[in-house]
Amino acid sequence: MIDEYSGIAPKGDLILLQKLGEKMKNRSFLHVNSTRAGGGVAEILQRMIPILMELGITAKWEVIQGDSRFFDITKKIHNALQGNSETITKEMWQYHFEVNRKNAEGCQLDADAVLIHDPQPSPLIEFRKKGQWIWRCHIDVSNPVKEVWKVLSRYCEKYDAAIFSVQKFAQAMGIDQFIIPPAIDPISEKNRELRGDEIIETVAKFRLPTDRPILLQVSRFDRFKDPMGVIRVYQIVKKYNDCILILAGSPASDDPEGEMVLNETREAAGNDPDIHILLLPPFSDIEINALQRIATVILQKSLKEGFGLTVSEAMWKGKPVIGGAAGGIPLQITHDITGFLVHSVEGAAFRVRQLLNNPELAKRMGENARAYIRANFLITRQIRDYLSLWYYMENKGRHILEL
Amino acid sequence: MESVGPFEFRECISLMKSTGEKAKTLRELRDLIAIISDESIYHHTYQYYLRRQILEYNNDFAHWAGESLEESALSEYFSNIDPFLFKDIGELRKALLKVIDDYLERFPEPRETMPGEEFYFNEAIILLFPEGLRANNLAEFLIAIKYIDLPSIYYHFYEARVRLGSGIDDFSKWVEGGLGRKDLAAKIRNIDPLMHTLEGIREHLAEMVEEEVRKDMEVVPR
Repeated sequence: MIDEYSGIAPKGDLILLQKLGEKMKNRSFLHVNSTRAGGGVAEILQRMIPILMELGITAKWEVIQGDSRFFDITKKIHNALQGNSETITKEMWQYHFEVNRKNAEGCQLDADAVLIHDPQPSPLIEFRKKGQWIWRCHIDVSNPVKEVWKVLSRYCEKYDAAIFSVQKFAQAMGIDQFIIPPAIDPISEKNRELRGDEIIETVAKFRLPTDRPILLQVSRFDRFKDPMGVIRVYQIVKKYNDCILILAGSPASDDPEGEMVLNETREAAGNDPDIHILLLPPFSDIEINALQRIATVILQKSLKEGFGLTVSEAMWKGKPVIGGAAGGIPLQITHDITGFLVHSVEGAAFRVRQLLNNPELAKRMGENARAYIRANFLITRQIRDYLSLWYYMENKGRHILEL
Repeated sequence: MESVGPFEFRECISLMKSTGEKAKTLRELRDLIAIISDESIYHHTYQYYLRRQILEYNNDFAHWAGESLEESALSEYFSNIDPFLFKDIGELRKALLKVIDDYLERFPEPRETMPGEEFYFNEAIILLFPEGLRANNLAEFLIAIKYIDLPSIYYHFYEARVRLGSGIDDFSKWVEGGLGRKDLAAKIRNIDPLMHTLEGIREHLAEMVEEEVRKDMEVVPR
């Protein structure tokens, strides 16, 4: 599998992966999260685990189980950490802990390194047996509801280290904190090169008109992704440039609000025949790949964002992307070089019009975007960083490590 | 064919570690620059060249002053600092503080950044490893220069200046010491590291070395 990245990922990353694999050979590396499908974390883990195994590391992935009450609570915690006003009662925190306690009984947590993804399974630290424990926070916690962060951080501070996707998410904690952005897999079904006939065949089922420029946003139906705002962007652009809008997203099993937002989005779209809302089943990877490849301009108009992997996906396909200046999006888009950063519906509409009217600009920006993603946001870099961190933790105190 | 010791290409990557410190005003930045670790100062100055995409700025402080604080003149002063001229981090730290002190004397009340736009002090953990490439002569060196990863250029061209001192980089050192080509070494040393991206450095190196290789290959009729 590693060989498949040769010629795609930077050579240095592949060399370092092999070297770190030799250092960590036969040692165990456990990842725990709360969903096997939907969302960026599950997607990355599906690809990362086999690569780690191929490197000689005993990689394992556990998914904690919970009922709808648990996921309602964790969604509220998630929203509160992203700054939305939510109240998490004592009973809710207790239930959060209880579900984790039950999960701990069924999980094998005795690995050499344990990476716990996001707040849902964070109380598992209380059941630590051995090894280095790292809490990996994928969400934007730059402005959390303080009371909620205070309770959660009682768990987080028991870890040996924490990882945030963006530096401004890092919090005042008494443990080492590292900045590791997530990444995309360039050879996955969602990102691999597609032949022309594959693209045509894949999108045919959606019956999309291809005679006009296509604006696309791929994301969960989540208020923070601002699907209603994207519709307003399209409506402004439509007055000047005939185009169609595609809003495509998959439901996630840990997101009970999704359906509500989807219905609101449908209402906002009204009966405009040029707005296509596509609710894709989980694992619609080739469909998303093909949609991104037929798009003229891709939007990710998030108001709050953990990282926004769909931005990297679109950039990897050489597309100009207009992103909301939130969370990890400015880390991927250098304004005016690898894409456009916007702060409003109006700003996004202006940039869409600019790109639709300047195909050369769109092409140049797309090329810059692809090169930037190759150097910084491929999965090989992310695995390299996780293993580097684990290696550093076992060689603490040394700022320069020679392999 | 020249018989010389090979040039072993190496590469470094950095893992970013947060110090937990951040500044939202120029005064806060000043107070933190005064006490932050050498590793953090190193990360925000020398290592900027590993990450930079635009030539407008030469370090993270200039970048922050220009983009977040929106103090263009301050940004220009920061960008004018050449980190390779200082013998150690302590001297560089003093230079950074002097820029801020001079600026604050003239403009005592610079604006505050927007929330989320603060300056975040980080450090880097460096992992150093062989690139898996070796050049035995100038022709092989030329091919390697065209294909090595950009972090390898950073390591040999920028980081080397700190390691070796006196404005010397690994490439010119090998070209002069290993191949005896003083003129080419001087040309390489004339490339201004502050004025190019890593890709720009690669292009300059390739152009200079290619010219030399072409001269070597030319057959002069007698």
